[in-house]
Amino acid sequence: MSTEESHVDRMLERIEHHQRVRRILIAVGLLVLALVTAAGMTFIGFRLANLVREFPGFIESIWDFMPPNFVDFTLYSKEHYQYGQVAKLEDFYQPILMSFSNPSTFWTSIVEQEGLIGLSVITIAIGFCGTVLGFPLALIFGVLGSERVTPFPFNFLFRGAMSTIRAIPALVWVLVYIPLTGLGPVGALMAVATDTVGNLGRLFTDELEEIDDGPIEAVGSTGASGSQRVFFGMLSQVFTSFIAWTLYILEINVRIAVSLGVVGAGGIGQYINNRFFGFLEFSRGMAGILMVIVIVLSVEMVSSRLRARLRPSEHEQMTFFDHLKDLLTTSKWLGTGSGKRD
Amino acid sequence: MPAVSVENLTKVYGEDTVALDDVSFEVEDGEFLVVLGPSGAGKSTLLRILNGLTTPTEGRVEVGDEEITGRRSDIAMVFQLHYVIESLSAYRNALTGALSRASLLESLLTWYDEPDKRMALRALDTVGLLEAAEQRTGSMSGGQKQRVGIARALVQDPNLLLADEPVASLDPKAANQVMGYMRSAAKERDLTTIASLHQVNIAREFGDRFIGIRDGEVVFDGDHDDLTMDAVDEIYYESEEDAEGVLEA
Repeated sequence: MSTEESHVDRMLERIEHHQRVRRILIAVGLLVLALVTAAGMTFIGFRLANLVREFPGFIESIWDFMPPNFVDFTLYSKEHYQYGQVAKLEDFYQPILMSFSNPSTFWTSIVEQEGLIGLSVITIAIGFCGTVLGFPLALIFGVLGSERVTPFPFNFLFRGAMSTIRAIPALVWVLVYIPLTGLGPVGALMAVATDTVGNLGRLFTDELEEIDDGPIEAVGSTGASGSQRVFFGMLSQVFTSFIAWTLYILEINVRIAVSLGVVGAGGIGQYINNRFFGFLEFSRGMAGILMVIVIVLSVEMVSSRLRARLRPSEHEQMTFFDHLKDLLTTSKWLGTGSGKRD
Repeated sequence: MPAVSVENLTKVYGEDTVALDDVSFEVEDGEFLVVLGPSGAGKSTLLRILNGLTTPTEGRVEVGDEEITGRRSDIAMVFQLHYVIESLSAYRNALTGALSRASLLESLLTWYDEPDKRMALRALDTVGLLEAAEQRTGSMSGGQKQRVGIARALVQDPNLLLADEPVASLDPKAANQVMGYMRSAAKERDLTTIASLHQVNIAREFGDRFIGIRDGEVVFDGDHDDLTMDAVDEIYYESEEDAEGVLEA
């Protein structure tokens, strides 16, 4: 056997030994994790036998949700669609078809804030406007919270403020705002905006901690002032990621807006709550759940495509008008665009 | 029969950005070909097409008598920024070259076949990193990371090794070392290699044959003797005035 081969053998033996030790440690770690989880589940009263016993009843109750009844889809369907005591498949599609045969009802439903369409728009508006209102403060707190901008320990004033905001969930913020706005969409909007400052600001701070020193030094070496270094050396590096994070928070905020509705702050969440717990109309409540899925998927799809379009290689050297023209390129929306050059 | 055959290769981005314009050449088995050219000349596009990462607008490429239509595990690539997984050891990075021969579970649990494990260690030995096999690549220097990148490519057991400006981000000493390891690994295995480089002196030291690309066209094809200063000027400058202007400056 050559010297080289014996070196390889020796090294292979050493690596295999280390890997055996590592695998044993991983197995022990997984076992401990399983035991702690089992202890936690027992502590909160989780019993598999109970779930198994109740499962047939659960399946039966799920059938009460079917088929979803879209009678409240728009104002028009609400006023004209007649449904009986016994649920029918027509209850699912007939109100939707009926609404599309009378398109002006969509606009009326939105203006009147009625029907699933009107309530969905309220939910989306809470999520969207809350994100927009929270963004400026998130940006200020996020930038000032970074140690690269504000020296330690002063940056902790801003970090601490963001952590405090984050410690309180939006569901609690909406209760805090009741004396100011009452329980409704306005309070939900305030709660989402506040939540955005804590969450988005933290993401901004973390993003700034990861940037390269090179461009900051390069900008500094030109004699730029401190604020110019922040804008040109730092923020220019994270501009696209900031926009991407904001779109991500928008997705989350729309979901939060649904949950706030469930506790009475309006929108599609409140509709679902009323159908399930107020009137026990499960099939109409199910229609509300389907609308939530459609809203969340639509917002996610638009947001993810917008984020994909922010990738630098896709629109280097493009003017504002190029961007507008580019919006018509279907292949880019579908994510089937071409690669990059040299 | 040539190991690589490039025929009338044209690549147009968008409507009128021509990256490659009717490029044709052949590479012999075991040859170390260096592609030279200024930034934006089309070198990376050529290598991306050879690796099946980009589809040509016109023309064809054959490697080992088989046309390239997509990614192939018998064509390995060494990237400019090495792209090693910094949280993994050099050994596990080198083993990622054997991913196409292992199932997901095997690769996650590092249950590779014995020959693959040996191949990874031999590849690390070839690039002078056997003793650092268990070191995390995150704590390695740029030159060492690039050598891990070469080891990973060798573990693919390729018929063609591509290198896209593999030493562009390294200092001259590390660049020479990395190129030396790549050259000796290729020669040991009689491996056909195509590397794009910026540094003419390094190209001269390690290449068998040279192709110059400017504005997407092949403007030079020759060996050491042909690669004179005039030939280099022709590759890098549009006209003699340009070259003289640069020298004067």
